[in-house]
Amino acid sequence: MSAHELNGELPHEPEKATLEGRNKILGFWLFLGAETVLFGTLFSSYLALRHNIGDGPPASELFELPMTFAATMILLTSSLMSVFAVQALHQKKVKPLIGWLIATIVLGLGFLALEVVEFLNYIDEGHKMPTSAFSSSFYTLVGFHGAHVAFGVLWITLIILQLLKKGLTVVTAPKVYVSAIYWHFIDVVWVFIFTVVYLMGKVV
Amino acid sequence: MSSNHSTHEQTTRHRHEGPKKHIVAFVLSLVLTIIAFAAVASGEINTTFTYIILVGMALVQVFVQMAFWMHMKDRGHLFPIMGILFGVIVVFTMVIMAEYWVWW
Repeated sequence: MSAHELNGELPHEPEKATLEGRNKILGFWLFLGAETVLFGTLFSSYLALRHNIGDGPPASELFELPMTFAATMILLTSSLMSVFAVQALHQKKVKPLIGWLIATIVLGLGFLALEVVEFLNYIDEGHKMPTSAFSSSFYTLVGFHGAHVAFGVLWITLIILQLLKKGLTVVTAPKVYVSAIYWHFIDVVWVFIFTVVYLMGKVV
Repeated sequence: MSSNHSTHEQTTRHRHEGPKKHIVAFVLSLVLTIIAFAAVASGEINTTFTYIILVGMALVQVFVQMAFWMHMKDRGHLFPIMGILFGVIVVFTMVIMAEYWVWW
């Protein structure tokens, strides 16, 4: 199969070269529509419950802006790495592609590590999952986002392994493309989280 | 289509699809983020105006990232745009409901 050979043989925009690839991308957008609604419900429950802090610390005392800013920068840069990965994909350069993907997941792991440290700090300060309606909805919303990042890291790792094994083909290209869209979506959700949860939480 | 033609198409497309616009999108996101954080960190702007700045910066940043990074400004993305817009309408309804009706 010529499509399995690298460089030159591969069609232009290999992720959209086959019907299966195009269907995969379309189906993925449907999934993202559902994800939008999922995060929307979590945001709306957080917004409804955020003032019910019970005996726990209020948001304005809890959140630390430098920490959130660092996490934001890491995830934003990670999203840029992912864009470069797709550009390498369009140029059919496998090695740079894998390099950008590795940069993406390393930054993703950095973000996760920061989030774990942050949550542990909160627990020390008496902000646990069962503390109040505020804490429960906070951990559910931010934790769900963190879980998405963790899943993305795992997923992109598996795609890298596939690229190493099978190379860049019309089968692996849509996977890379779709995972990049997913990663940007997670970054977009984070924009709303740092705005609505952290920054608005700091404004009294 | 001759192979010559497709090669030509690829090279022009590559030139068009350089990293420049993505770096512009990145710097723009960076600036919007810093404005949002600075507005809160300064603590000198009144609450209502801070909220307006925050929501404004977030919406612009999301628009930039979706248009450039999620390729939604490219051709053939009408379906994704409609899908996401539909999701946004549902989310908007839920957020309004949660903010204004839950505790009445």
